[in-house]
Amino acid sequence: MIEAVAIGAVAGGTSILLPTLGEVVSERSGVINLGTEGSMLAGALAAYIVGIQTGNPWIGIVAGLAAGAALAMVHAFFVLVRGANQIATGLVVTFLGLGLTAMFGQDYVGQGVVALENVPIPGLSQLPFVGPVLFDHDPITYLSLLAVPALWWFLARTKAGLRLRAAGERPQVLRTFGTNERTVRALAVTAGGALAGLGGAQLATAFTRNWSEGMTVGRGFVAVGLVIFAAWDPRKALIGAYLFSGAIALQLQLQAQGSDISRYLLSALPYLVVIVSLAALSRRRVNAAPEALDHVFEHAS
Amino acid sequence: MNPAASASASATATAAAGNASADGSVVDAPPDGAVLDTPPGAGPDADAVATPSRWRAAGMATLRWAAALAGALVIFGLFLFARGASPVDAYLAMLDSAFGDSRAIGDTLLRATPLLLAALAVAVPARAGMFNIGGEGQLVLGAVGAMAMSFALDGAIAGPPAFVLLALAGMVAGACWALIPAILKVVLRTNEAIVSLLLNYVAVIVLTWLVFEPWKDPKSTGQAYSKALPSDERLPILWANRVHVGIILAIVAAFVIWAAFRSTRWGFKLQVLGGNPEAARRAGLRVGALAVGAMAVGGALAGLGGMLEVSGVEGRLRPGIMVGFGYIGFLASWLAKHHPLKAIVSAFVLAAIAIGGNGLKIEAGVSGAAVNVLMALVLLAVLGFARPNTKATS
Repeated sequence: MIEAVAIGAVAGGTSILLPTLGEVVSERSGVINLGTEGSMLAGALAAYIVGIQTGNPWIGIVAGLAAGAALAMVHAFFVLVRGANQIATGLVVTFLGLGLTAMFGQDYVGQGVVALENVPIPGLSQLPFVGPVLFDHDPITYLSLLAVPALWWFLARTKAGLRLRAAGERPQVLRTFGTNERTVRALAVTAGGALAGLGGAQLATAFTRNWSEGMTVGRGFVAVGLVIFAAWDPRKALIGAYLFSGAIALQLQLQAQGSDISRYLLSALPYLVVIVSLAALSRRRVNAAPEALDHVFEHAS
Repeated sequence: MNPAASASASATATAAAGNASADGSVVDAPPDGAVLDTPPGAGPDADAVATPSRWRAAGMATLRWAAALAGALVIFGLFLFARGASPVDAYLAMLDSAFGDSRAIGDTLLRATPLLLAALAVAVPARAGMFNIGGEGQLVLGAVGAMAMSFALDGAIAGPPAFVLLALAGMVAGACWALIPAILKVVLRTNEAIVSLLLNYVAVIVLTWLVFEPWKDPKSTGQAYSKALPSDERLPILWANRVHVGIILAIVAAFVIWAAFRSTRWGFKLQVLGGNPEAARRAGLRVGALAVGAMAVGGALAGLGGMLEVSGVEGRLRPGIMVGFGYIGFLASWLAKHHPLKAIVSAFVLAAIAIGGNGLKIEAGVSGAAVNVLMALVLLAVLGFARPNTKATS
């Protein structure tokens, strides 16, 4: 049972880890993006449709990435160019994604998917426990695991990463060096949307392998919460994402084993895990937030 | 915080306040973000002077609004066209299904009821500087609370006293649901926007559980639903065979909140808190209690919306009841810039678009959820364009 939960946590964790990493990128630059949920849906549907049309799941994946980025650009435009409120705009962008995917996805509900198959890594996948848990997944899952150290390195050790963090912490400093923080933020939000789109694409073509309206059921919103849990650190984002997907996997295992607790109530477990861990950690996270984010929540109107 | 950063912070604050006052004083008479120095009750429209420049500004604002909305309609038309539907026919079908006959208008009014209450549930906390994105869950809990009260009464009380009890139960349940993010915020500094948002999913799960297990109607096969409310706990119908008294209650609630914002100490304190929490704290306001109270009032309003829906429209609980209403209410409040009276209009407009979606589905074969696109476009137009250009600051 532990193995089954662990396998489920990793396989289901990709579609939460990628948007969480995307949100880390966006928020580190000073922009909170609740449109992540919409970007995920757009990515899921684009990957699904393009996969079916071309017969090649990889072209679908690229389309998913692009669709997620495109929706995030809407957020970036309204927030950065038009000065709209970030929270409201993000939710509106999610609405846009929800509507567009319902509109253009209705003919694809229940159609056969061109699935992204698992690629067991030779040798390693034969190891007991570790093999099936870590080395027998779809390529995007491996990619997401590699993305964690890569993103950490990018943020902590590269000049571009430094600029991104400066945009979120000390935009004035950035300006004195001749870089406009809005450009940096636009790029960061777009990249974050691309990661969310990739997560959605993995969800539709590799994990659930179907398309249905609103199929992300809040994963994008959970990602925004997990970023706080993770203290805006990609490494801790990995822990948060697998905590959420682990709760999903545990809940499914408990159901399969015929637990006494109602399966309906068990399905609330992943959301409760996130809320409780946020509550437990928030005090310690207050100072970890990029400074520019403070202003977002100061003005609800 | 170093001096540079605090300079940026105050620049942001000034810019935001600047937007609010520009909007408030130009577009509309009673601004709700610009009058910290005016005593409550003495609204600025009392001494508003209709100078030519003011009229010109108002005209420009109206033009900007019209252009923004037209842009949203054109873009949605293009999406419809891309989907293979004729935009003109689709818009006509939407108009027909939202306003075509008395039944259509009734449907729109019916939908506007929970949307308005959900919008007020956003507007009250927003005045205190809080984001309540949990209207969806608070509506559901309101319906659940009303249903629980009905089971508890077990037919012992009927008519108006029963309505009052059901409404109170719904409001208490909605308020309790909203208290979770509020208390977590005040005590643990947890982000109330995200917690209230995630609780929506939990609320829907609770509803699903109730409908499928403890409250399931044994007669329901396939599509599960709960046992029905007794007929004497159903709200009286006013008009067109469907429109119940809820719409009046919702509008009254909007006026009450508006009056409370304008002329009570509570409304003024919320405004101070929303404008500058630090100043509010130094002025001796009980910031935590105010914030929690604002969220609770918001939750109670949404809870009333849920009660009205179950007692006025549905008559029972089912999965998928009121899906999306809370989010649309959030949009309605933003569309109205959290002004309670304008929220009446915005809730009605969004209700018409939502009901128009039925026509879209039947006549143009486009998923009813497509109207979310139109709502989003309208909101983006208003958030981004329906005001003088502002320099993005944060």
